[in-house]
Amino acid sequence: MEMAPGRIATWAAWAVIVFLQLPVLVVVLAAFSTTSYLTIPPQGWTLAWFAKVLSDPAWLAAIRMSLFLAFGATAIALALGTAAAYAIARRMVPGADALTALVMAPLVMPSVVIGVALLQFYALTGLRGSIFGLLMAHVVITVPYIIRAALTSLAGLDGALEEAARVLGATGPEAFRLVTLPLIRPGLVAGALFAFITSLDNVPVTIFLISARQTTLPVLIFSSVEMGVDPSVAAISTLLIIATGGILLLAERRFGFHRFI
Amino acid sequence: MKRHGIALAGPLALVLAAFFLAPALLTLPTGFREYVPGQGITAGSWTLDAYRDIVSDDFYREVLWRTLGLGLAVTVICLLLGYPLAWMIARGPARLRMPLLLLVIFPMMLNLVVRSFGWIALLANRGLINNLLTDLGLIATPVKMMFNLTGMLVGLVHIYLPFMVLMLVAAIQNVPRDVEAAAMTLGSTRRHVFLAITLPLTAPGILAGSILVFVLTISALVTPRMLGGPTYRVMATLIYDEYMQMLDWPTGSALAFVLTAIALAIIWAANRVARRWSGMGAVT
Repeated sequence: MEMAPGRIATWAAWAVIVFLQLPVLVVVLAAFSTTSYLTIPPQGWTLAWFAKVLSDPAWLAAIRMSLFLAFGATAIALALGTAAAYAIARRMVPGADALTALVMAPLVMPSVVIGVALLQFYALTGLRGSIFGLLMAHVVITVPYIIRAALTSLAGLDGALEEAARVLGATGPEAFRLVTLPLIRPGLVAGALFAFITSLDNVPVTIFLISARQTTLPVLIFSSVEMGVDPSVAAISTLLIIATGGILLLAERRFGFHRFI
Repeated sequence: MKRHGIALAGPLALVLAAFFLAPALLTLPTGFREYVPGQGITAGSWTLDAYRDIVSDDFYREVLWRTLGLGLAVTVICLLLGYPLAWMIARGPARLRMPLLLLVIFPMMLNLVVRSFGWIALLANRGLINNLLTDLGLIATPVKMMFNLTGMLVGLVHIYLPFMVLMLVAAIQNVPRDVEAAAMTLGSTRRHVFLAITLPLTAPGILAGSILVFVLTISALVTPRMLGGPTYRVMATLIYDEYMQMLDWPTGSALAFVLTAIALAIIWAANRVARRWSGMGAVT
């Protein structure tokens, strides 16, 4: 005898699953549809919107900017975050708990508040509209994911392994690189993936900091939608949907991504 | 050892001090500055005007209550929709677990702007739902589903439902099945087992998921902006307007501070409740 889901719960669950995929399906259908507004069933199929988006310098510049920020912020957050998490986990710093609270704080603060705080700060220091300022903002919002992943991985690790390496003659950095790092790598990859997606996704902080000349992909989609719905927005969105789905499936195949959520 | 530790953690601490802590602290005094329309902030002035406006002005009060009401509504709906799905993932057929989990995670990973755009295509006056209903002859004029409460609720529930589901899955998986089986053996109905055992045992997960969804909802900017439009405003969109359009930074700063204070207070209170619950667990 077992509390398995009954018939009503099962139907409700499937309905919710459909609800969750609904806007995704609509966007993809709109991207391939010949009409500029959406009809069901679609009146015809075309790839024209994709061609239009991928030949538009404004969209291409936004894609480049977003990828640059996501790769840059993830790399910096990964380097700084892993080092800090190691020091915290091994209790090598005074006030490790306060430090943990500080590095996790950007997750708790409303994004829009981080956005306006940085806007004021950058206006004061002349960093407004600079790529460096934007990159640092993305490091701040992505680093909690790296720290969380690294701390979880390090907590599940036997410190004796690293000590054994030291006893056998490895230096501290060698022991870390050859023993600890390979063991925490899956967690770090998951954290980095989260950080990457968070950076790529971000609007509420970015929108306060971009200049008129350079914008990111989600902010450009956001402002395009305010101008009116256009199938090229659906096309660029579909590219993002395919990329996200592909990354998720790949991550799940490679190292069981769902375990890190 | 300590020296190594500081060398390892120092760079990140510096970056966060410079690009998070300092900006956040510098924003606080702005809320106490005087703002003169057309001229901007009076340097060196100190006033409580911005905070007084938020408390006494009907417009700001309406936005504040609307934000909190939305947070509550979205949380309750996410809980009601999320529980059966979480149940299905945790207790349903094992072969469905992974595909269902991925179908929950996928929309969560997907760009927020893209998801809200999908809802616009569905809910707009000339959107998919209205076109379908008109073609079927069910309605003569389009039903307004955007730039109002409906659109905002649908969009926000869609965004935050996956968070709730994942929290609930973890909670349901932690319920010891022996206890349920024992109650069933002793003659309890399924309904009674659920209400008397499963639901109370998943309460910590329900609380954690609810707090998460509530705090995320009251802080949301993108979805309320896209589905609520420029007129149906919540706190985050109002903060955006004050800073970027009205250039009334004192009011924006005061609103930002109030929003942060509400979010932190709720998280703090929830942590206390959670700690008390786990304390009770240790006693019994």
